[in-house]
Amino acid sequence: MGVPGVGAMKRVLVVLLVLLAVATLVLAQGIGRATVRTPNGDREVMTIQQRGETLLAADETIAAFGGRITAEGEGFRIALGAMEAIFGPDSRFAVVRDDLIEMAQEPVVIEGRAFLPSGFFRELIPRASGLDVTWDPASRLLLARPRTREVLSAQVSVVDLQGTTKIVIQFSGAAEHTITRTGTSYLIQLRNTVRAPFAEQAYDNPRVSRITFRDGEIGIHLRGAAVAGDAYELQNPFRIVLDLKEAPEGSPAYRPQLRTEPRFQQTLPGVRTIVLDPGHGGKEVGAIGPNGLMEKDATLAICRKLAAVLSSRLGLRVILTRNEDEAITLEQRTALANHYKADLFLSVHLNAAVMKGARGAETYFLSVEASDELARSAAERENLTPSGSRSRAGSDLNLILWELAQQEYLKESSRFAEIVQEEMNRALGIENRGVKQAPFKVLIGATMPAALVEVGFITNPDEEAKLLDEGFQGTIASTLASAIERYKTEYDVRMGVGGARVAAPAPAGAGDPAAAEPERTSGR
Amino acid sequence: MPSTRALVAAMLACIAAISACRKERAVSDVVALANKVESRTIQLFFESPDLLLVPETRLLSLPANQAAALSQVVAELLKGSANTAVPRLFPEDTVVRGAYLLPEGNAVVDLGGQTLTDGWNTGSHTELMAAYSLVHTLSANFEIRRVRILVNGQPVATLAGHVAIDRPLLPSGDAVKR
Repeated sequence: MGVPGVGAMKRVLVVLLVLLAVATLVLAQGIGRATVRTPNGDREVMTIQQRGETLLAADETIAAFGGRITAEGEGFRIALGAMEAIFGPDSRFAVVRDDLIEMAQEPVVIEGRAFLPSGFFRELIPRASGLDVTWDPASRLLLARPRTREVLSAQVSVVDLQGTTKIVIQFSGAAEHTITRTGTSYLIQLRNTVRAPFAEQAYDNPRVSRITFRDGEIGIHLRGAAVAGDAYELQNPFRIVLDLKEAPEGSPAYRPQLRTEPRFQQTLPGVRTIVLDPGHGGKEVGAIGPNGLMEKDATLAICRKLAAVLSSRLGLRVILTRNEDEAITLEQRTALANHYKADLFLSVHLNAAVMKGARGAETYFLSVEASDELARSAAERENLTPSGSRSRAGSDLNLILWELAQQEYLKESSRFAEIVQEEMNRALGIENRGVKQAPFKVLIGATMPAALVEVGFITNPDEEAKLLDEGFQGTIASTLASAIERYKTEYDVRMGVGGARVAAPAPAGAGDPAAAEPERTSGR
Repeated sequence: MPSTRALVAAMLACIAAISACRKERAVSDVVALANKVESRTIQLFFESPDLLLVPETRLLSLPANQAAALSQVVAELLKGSANTAVPRLFPEDTVVRGAYLLPEGNAVVDLGGQTLTDGWNTGSHTELMAAYSLVHTLSANFEIRRVRILVNGQPVATLAGHVAIDRPLLPSGDAVKR
């Protein structure tokens, strides 16, 4: 074998130097090992250190729990039992169904392998298994142990309203459970130990005869097989809710339900307080017209004028979500209306479109899917304070009434939006873009009829010029006041309050738009 | 020459020592999916002159893998209509950072770009059109019913102060021309 030439040797040297450089780069990540300890045994996994955080090799760690990870586009998909999670290299958020897990830092991908912060596994594994996970940085141990379940206490309420029996079982903590139907009973099997409030309780209810607590199982015994149920969970506090209704028409035991008196009357005796919401404010300027008009300024001017008209003409208590140029979150606006127990909520905006020539007014109320989702998480939203903090959730009965009222709010919101749009069309002679539904954030969570009006397109130079004009702003305010008066009249008559001009006591300061500003003690 | 050989031998020993620091492991489970490409006619939703969304068909070379095709379709939507008279719905600097297909008809689209990051000053109509152009485009081309939009990998309340995107969006009949 001859001596290699100098050129060949140089090439070998270059390759070796490149290899050295790669190896040095990899070592610079602080590669190490950690142990994943599961009930099935120990597994060594590769780790890297980054910004003081230990990141574990996702493939080896997930494999220790019997799962697998696959690359998908630029991201990765984890399959662990029936659960799937997805994450990408640039985001601290992993998607688990429609929920998110926030990581301490972005995943690192080296040679096609993903490394994730230990906290991710602490969050993920319990969602897919009955294991709790802890990370000990000193011993570099990710320890997964069977979850120790706390002993829970439970309370039961059964309420029959509007053709539906709602059974609410409230626990002192999250209860792992499965629900099955056998004959004329629903059985809730609990993995936690539960202190039973009773062994057996009989109910004078058209659908439920009795409820039993026995050996980690709650039995809900129905009066007949023709009762169908819909079960779901509510959080904070944890509740299992079962809605029972008669089975659909066609079943032998079907019995149509008669509606009782309007339940809306229980919560809204008449329109007395209205919250006006001038859209945007502060740094959030909203849309900007071709000649510089800012949405936040025009909406505030219109709402101030409207507040003055409503106070003087209708004697309503008027509250503005903002009475100056300031930023308020959308949640705070709705929460303010809830806090003041407003009977009506109107958010005023100016529209914008990329299409030239867009013109006209349109009015929105909340879309159904947003409302449905809202009802499901009612417990988290009720009693929201203006600062956005949560106070103690109300009683189960309040929750049930709240959910049912949401459906009524939607109907009333639809009617209110319809009247606002009709008045805008009639008085302003601008193009009718109709009443629509959308999942507008500011309307979500309002516990009163609520609408959002777009009084014109700021992106249209003609409409922008009008909207800049104080006289036109006054006309809009007067038109919206007429709409509110019409809705109030209609609503008050329907509720038997006595008509639009029923003397609603005007609070001190009402009549002066400046004085219409509410007291705000927090969240500002 | 012997000195060169000695140098090579020393470097090989060095590499071997470094390699020994890393425990031998089986070939990683992380294997890139084969991205078989296929031509596919897709529908992209843009705004029509009557201010409603209408579909525009476009022939694209896309990965046969649906999940991998998702972000490319979103990127195509962000490019705007082939008709230059039709304005873009999203801000021009909007980018798709990732798009993920989830079980049960759910998708997550992660958007980025300076305008969405700094705060998009626009009206509810434009915001509705933009959000629903994404939802309808994905539901028309994939088995997707609900779309969750993130900005810079994070959940946000709205894109421009109106439409709630802190929850998944469903297709909207009000937004599309019938």
